[in-house]
Amino acid sequence: MIQLKHISKHYPVGFGKNEILRDIDLRIFEGEFVSIMGPSGSGKSTLLHILGLLEEPSQGEYLFDGEPVHKMNEKKRTQLHRGAIGFVFQAYHLIDELTVYENIETPLLYKNMPAAERKSRVADILDRFNIVAKKDLFPNQLSGGQQQLVGIARALVGEPKVILADEPTGNLHSDQAKEIMELFKQLNEKDKITIVQVTHSELNATYGHRIIQIRDGKIA
Amino acid sequence: MIKNYLKIAWRNIRKQKFYSFINILGLTIGMTCCFLIFMYVRFELSYDSFHKNKDRIYRVVTDVKTPTELIEADITSAPMGPNIKADFPEVVSSVRINLQNALVTIGSNKYDEDRVAMADSTLFDIFSFQLIRGTAKNALAEPFTAVLTESKAKKYFGSADPMGKTFQMDGGKVTIKVTGLMKDVPENSHLPFDMVISMATAERMGQNLTESWGNFGMLTYLLLAPGADAAKLEKKLPAFMESHIGSTMKRNNMYYTLHLERLKDVYMTSKRPAAVKGSITNIYIFSIVAVFILLIAVINFVNLATARATERAREVGVRKSVGAYESQLTFQFLCETLLLSLFAFVLSVALSQLLLPPFNLLAGKEIAYNIFLTGTIGWFLFIAIAVGLLAGIYPALVLSSYKPVVVLKGAFSSSNKGLFLRRGLVVFQFVITIVLIAGVMIVYYQLLYLQSRDLGFKKDQQLVVEFGGVDNMKEKWFDIRQQVLNVQGVSGATFSSAIPGRFQNSAYSNIEMKNGEMQASNINLYFIDYDFIKQYEIKVLAGRAFSPQMATDSTQAMLVNEAVVSSLGYSKPEEIIGKKFDQWGRKGTIIGVIKNFNYRSLKEAVSPLTLRIEPEAFVPMTITVSPKDAKKVIAGVEAIYNRYVPEGRFNYFFVDDDFDRQYRGDFRFGQLVLTFAILAIFLATLGLLGLISYIVIQRTKEIGIRKVLGASVNNILLLLSTDFIKLIAIALLVATPLAWYLMYQWLKDFAYRIDVPWWVFLAAGCVAVVIALATVSIQTMKAAMTNPVKSLRTE
Repeated sequence: MIQLKHISKHYPVGFGKNEILRDIDLRIFEGEFVSIMGPSGSGKSTLLHILGLLEEPSQGEYLFDGEPVHKMNEKKRTQLHRGAIGFVFQAYHLIDELTVYENIETPLLYKNMPAAERKSRVADILDRFNIVAKKDLFPNQLSGGQQQLVGIARALVGEPKVILADEPTGNLHSDQAKEIMELFKQLNEKDKITIVQVTHSELNATYGHRIIQIRDGKIA
Repeated sequence: MIKNYLKIAWRNIRKQKFYSFINILGLTIGMTCCFLIFMYVRFELSYDSFHKNKDRIYRVVTDVKTPTELIEADITSAPMGPNIKADFPEVVSSVRINLQNALVTIGSNKYDEDRVAMADSTLFDIFSFQLIRGTAKNALAEPFTAVLTESKAKKYFGSADPMGKTFQMDGGKVTIKVTGLMKDVPENSHLPFDMVISMATAERMGQNLTESWGNFGMLTYLLLAPGADAAKLEKKLPAFMESHIGSTMKRNNMYYTLHLERLKDVYMTSKRPAAVKGSITNIYIFSIVAVFILLIAVINFVNLATARATERAREVGVRKSVGAYESQLTFQFLCETLLLSLFAFVLSVALSQLLLPPFNLLAGKEIAYNIFLTGTIGWFLFIAIAVGLLAGIYPALVLSSYKPVVVLKGAFSSSNKGLFLRRGLVVFQFVITIVLIAGVMIVYYQLLYLQSRDLGFKKDQQLVVEFGGVDNMKEKWFDIRQQVLNVQGVSGATFSSAIPGRFQNSAYSNIEMKNGEMQASNINLYFIDYDFIKQYEIKVLAGRAFSPQMATDSTQAMLVNEAVVSSLGYSKPEEIIGKKFDQWGRKGTIIGVIKNFNYRSLKEAVSPLTLRIEPEAFVPMTITVSPKDAKKVIAGVEAIYNRYVPEGRFNYFFVDDDFDRQYRGDFRFGQLVLTFAILAIFLATLGLLGLISYIVIQRTKEIGIRKVLGASVNNILLLLSTDFIKLIAIALLVATPLAWYLMYQWLKDFAYRIDVPWWVFLAAGCVAVVIALATVSIQTMKAAMTNPVKSLRTE
């Protein structure tokens, strides 16, 4: 489903360049649950951002469902982004000025979905995550675990093929972390959603099928 | 989607109450200014546009050329209009109008009317003044008939039907019958009148309207046939004049050239004098001021929005990561700005409505009384949206261009993005502010100078009473003066034909030059009695003033001012004494030269003036009186006046007040500039306040650390204000030449003017610095005085 060929990423620093990723080759199949691990600064977050189309590689090819992403224009990429990819962040990144309901609704707005369908989709997800009672609260009225739940709900509401999670439990204590990881596992097994997570935790990594170790910008 | 945007915008406005307040207040003030000026400009440009035939109506004006000068008059003589109509088939109709004052008597009531028109019956065919009663054809056909406006009819006859009623004019000598009733003349008419007397009346009263080609006094308007070419007609007029009065023009060595002015140019752009006149310069000045005030408000918004952009950065990142296009985000932020500017729009419309009465007062005429009836709301909405877009587009583009990865990694801190732009905009604001402050100071300095400058005559404690309408003044003036002198408290009384600050006649005169030839020219003239020079304390430079002891002084003597001496080529005043003159049938010699005195406003240089004794022409009497006796004296003089002019109306004024009246327009201009300067300063301060308060919040931690390291409150004040002081210094450098240039343009209108003092710019700069420092200090003090432990703990 996802195929990276000779992907490199570097930033110019002074007269030279700072290499983050070097010559990465990677295949992720539909329905997989992959954990990317590595020390700080090894380039794992950058890899995730490239997968999520938030960053462009300096070199190399990226095929998504067989289509060459690196040749797409901005508009097509955004469409792919909207339809196929959901993001979950370590710091949740909910919009403070919007309620839980509205936060979850936002991706659907960008997909130009009719109001009635939007309403039922958001209602379904709220129901499924058991947060109906909290739908009118603002993010700062929720605990960290609840905020991340909303974050995942927001990633899921667009029915993506793949969820990219950047240390989704990094800001949570262990009980909450366990809950979230169980949820990911369930999503992967029941809903057949491909999941790629970046994590520091050996324990969390075990929820996945496969672990990819990154060191100094290379797959170890 | 839009609903979502508006929701977020609304929540942001409510969350950031302080910044929203600053933004909305600024935009509201800017827009209100703009709306009021918009209405003013629109009103000024709407003059005479209510006439259906406006594109076919032309005013006939005359250039009068004599050997020495060219007079550009707005009037013609009476025969010109009808003859043009008779000679040229493309002229459908013509009307002559003469605007004058009149004393109207109805029973025992007397009314001074200063807006009386005398006009041909074609008036209502050509112009779209609305007749309510009577017909356009008959209303003004007969002599001694009049059409009244509704408000005059109500004033004279109350609710009774005015048709067929009569009133007297000219002290009861003439009886006029009302044959028509018309709607009041709209405020935006360059022809202001409250009643129209038929032109046939003038003819019946002894004026020769068919023969007197050289007697000017009529405004003449032509209605051309549809499609007729005015330029072609104008080219044919010289031949027309030649055929009618060619030989007369040659004999008098005085040539008339007729021109046609489009009706829509008469009020605003014609350079000829007129009773009601617009100023295209003022239109430009006010339009520019409106734009600048609005710009200051827009700049406030842009500065604050870009400075605070980082606050919204995370939202941008999140939205992009869930699939927003950049253009969608730009649109979202623009929507927020539009919402703000629509808020400001609603407030501005309400505020403009509230401010209309004082604004009408300031403008000196009724621009509008209900903003919703002016048909300008659509324009205002358009302006509001344009302002919203202008203010919003740059911040929106900056915000929506944030890269999600950078923002969401958390490494994103306040950037210096737009710092240069912000500084530039702050400088721009201060340039406008300093120019306005310097402008106000220079305007008021000049006005002060005008009022305090020695005019060359005594203007204090001089009471003037108009003795118009005395029969046979020649025989009576001496007695009248004697009686006034007997009133207790009067220390001097003198008759003349004119007084300083008011209109004086001019005459075609011949005066002997150095080489013995007689030079003809049109010279201003005063007719005075023996005491005028002494009572006005005008200096005699050579020769002597008039004296009752010299028998020939009353008919064969003339005084001239210095300007006459130099204009005729004499180098010393003494040289012109004894030279011959020939003026209006009187011949004699020049007996004295007086020092130039400013008998017109200080906008004009003193022009040549001749003074003679001619009691027939006496009208105003100047009475010297001390302020404490003024009331008593006025009562005493009124009694004398009523004996001589029983059907007249007693009028008096003081020379100093009356003279300063000439600067009323300039004072109004000064007041307006002052108002706008205050608003500009307020807006700029408001913007600064917002910007600084944000900077202080951003630098709270830095301030805390500096304090821990031993910085005093003053150190920190200096740290935060240096930046702004530098910007003001730059603004001062830009503003000084600009203000100097602009004010020089304004001062050029005055023959007597101040040199622009250098300290004005320094003072304006100081005002700006003080305002900026005060703003910075208040905000910074708070931060500088907080215990550093508090500000650092939040990290």
